[in-house]
Amino acid sequence: MTDYVDAGEAVSHKTLSATKGNAPATGDVNYERIKGATSEPQNWLTYYGTYDGQRYSGLDQITKDNVKKLTPAWVFQAGMAGLTSGASTYSFEASPLVVEGVMYVSGPEGKLWAIDAVTGDELWRYKHASPYDVSLCCGNVNRGVAVGHGKVYLYTLNAHIIALDAQTGDLVWDVTNGDVRAGESGTVAPLIVKDMVIVGSSGGEFGLRGHLDAFDAQSGERRWRCYTIPKPGEPGSETWPDDGEAWQRGGANCWVTPSYDPELELLYQGTGNPAPDFDGGVREGDNLYTDSTIAVDVNTGQIRWHYQFTPHDLWDYDSTMENVLFDAPDGRKLLAHADKNGYFFVLDRTNGELVRVFPFVDRITWGEITPDGKVTPKVYPDEEGVPVHFWPGPAGGKEWTHMCYSPQTGLIYVPVQEVGATATRRRREFKESIPYWGAGVAVDLDDHYGFVAAIDPLTGEEKWRWNNEYPMCASTLATAGGLVFQGTPTGELVALDASTGEQLWSFQCGSGHHSSPSTYSVNGRQYLAVPTGWGGWIEGFLPGLLGAAAGDALFVFALPE
Amino acid sequence: MTATDNRSEELHAAGLDGQNRTALGRLLGTGSVGYGEKGSDGIMRATVRIPEDELIWEPSILVFPEGGEVELTLINDDKNTHCAVLPNNGDPKIIWLVNHSKGTARLSLGGPGTYYYGSTTGNDEGRGLTAALVFGGEVPDSAKIDRPPQPRP
Repeated sequence: MTDYVDAGEAVSHKTLSATKGNAPATGDVNYERIKGATSEPQNWLTYYGTYDGQRYSGLDQITKDNVKKLTPAWVFQAGMAGLTSGASTYSFEASPLVVEGVMYVSGPEGKLWAIDAVTGDELWRYKHASPYDVSLCCGNVNRGVAVGHGKVYLYTLNAHIIALDAQTGDLVWDVTNGDVRAGESGTVAPLIVKDMVIVGSSGGEFGLRGHLDAFDAQSGERRWRCYTIPKPGEPGSETWPDDGEAWQRGGANCWVTPSYDPELELLYQGTGNPAPDFDGGVREGDNLYTDSTIAVDVNTGQIRWHYQFTPHDLWDYDSTMENVLFDAPDGRKLLAHADKNGYFFVLDRTNGELVRVFPFVDRITWGEITPDGKVTPKVYPDEEGVPVHFWPGPAGGKEWTHMCYSPQTGLIYVPVQEVGATATRRRREFKESIPYWGAGVAVDLDDHYGFVAAIDPLTGEEKWRWNNEYPMCASTLATAGGLVFQGTPTGELVALDASTGEQLWSFQCGSGHHSSPSTYSVNGRQYLAVPTGWGGWIEGFLPGLLGAAAGDALFVFALPE
Repeated sequence: MTATDNRSEELHAAGLDGQNRTALGRLLGTGSVGYGEKGSDGIMRATVRIPEDELIWEPSILVFPEGGEVELTLINDDKNTHCAVLPNNGDPKIIWLVNHSKGTARLSLGGPGTYYYGSTTGNDEGRGLTAALVFGGEVPDSAKIDRPPQPRP
């Protein structure tokens, strides 16, 4: 036998691609700059565009009059290779960030790219390897990155918070922040505040005790951890059974990015469902701080106030979705939250006081919330083996995909899902890393629809509605051009008149939308970026389209030059 | 007879442990189990090879005590050309393996958990050239949730 042929050493896959390997230097994205993000609408500096969660851009080159000319400028494909975790459930859910012509966007399966925001050329890439067997309740997804302090931050499926050099994509630090053996994962887009980077936990369907964490953005050293379920003896622990271990499995995970008020120095974090989702018999009480907005002191991680939207939840009504900050004409600092339970809440964000609550969906059967906030459950799975149908289903009247607020119109544009479900209580014991729902659940395959609702948060009035055959499962985006953009589950990206709801433009992207589009400009040209790729927890929010085409393309649109 | 013997015999009797027997390729995950060894330098090392006409990595399941740095020696004893695309933090690694060749791959992978790699030419992956790297261990205490120990399945 002759000697072996020397095959050498394995090389990085990307060396066999056209990726350039580095991105141009940009100005430093620091806390002061993110606080003032409204003043530089050419960039999309943080997850929601601004700390207030409004998802509103001051760019106005694309208008009601010219939007019909909008065409693709470039497309970026985020293909997959090999066996990957949750391969059948991947979805391109991110919101692209843009800094001075460089786009940073994450995809499924731990992928992250820096892309030339004008040409679509790949500048660098990073792929965090996550185990194939990591527990994922809701798909192989990631909702985005944070950029700042010369770095890009990503929270990975196996619950590592990693920091990369923004110019090269090289790893700077990697901190394990969650226990994958306990069913914990990471899907949230990190948030930079001051010199910290903040992330929250995913894993409520596995009986995980939720938490929000802050790290030193330069070193990765932990600053604080805020648990969202109190231990025995702590404030709120009286809302859990005195004896037993229910609090340990409590849930209240933080898988959507908080909004932030720099004056009050408070993070507004939505929390997830209690566990088990549908079996309340093993967790009597209100189960704080599940299904709540908690106001967290960014300096200490202490909870300053809370408001619980669905006490003792029996319907999987997470309240993780965004809290949009806006001020009333009289200057009162308010917060808007459209909950899974079908009710729209306006709170005083200085103290959590309820200002207004009203329904924003057509069909609510689970219970009722009166204008003064009194909650009365009506229909819920409380008898073993007895099916119970309710609206909204466990994906809610609105899931995590975000609404937006236009200061031009004073309206909030809500992507609404009208889908019901049947849950049958099936009690089971808790075991680590095993799904802990306490029910069999089937979401309705038909009798569903959706719409974009333009809501005046000061009155509760619905000003207009754009109807769609299918529920809305993607985030809205408002611009100073008087437009609202919305992706549909069947692949269309539509532009609506923000004042009337009239559809002005549409483009078929080939796969359903389940992401958060952003807008930016370079050299005076406005672009609209939207990741497409139908996937994630489809069986929860729209099983009637479980067979729809998957995809993983990032479309970027602009007006003709 | 051990359980392992039973499993091997079951697979053989069902024609699942070879090429073009009951099905077309070899059922994934039916090869042997091997173990990586940790050196004094902290690097975990192991060797896998592709036997002639079997379209399988042997061992097809490599077990390491924990996540970390791995040095894998890959040998192609087949009379055909294959390759390996392997998971790695930062970017996957690729190595081309012509007939009767030998090379190495240095990988960085977190644990606990399982990763798969394969030969991404033709449909080598489907025929059987997909294999697992399995990492044991626990996450650091700093990453664990503040609660008492709980039952595992």
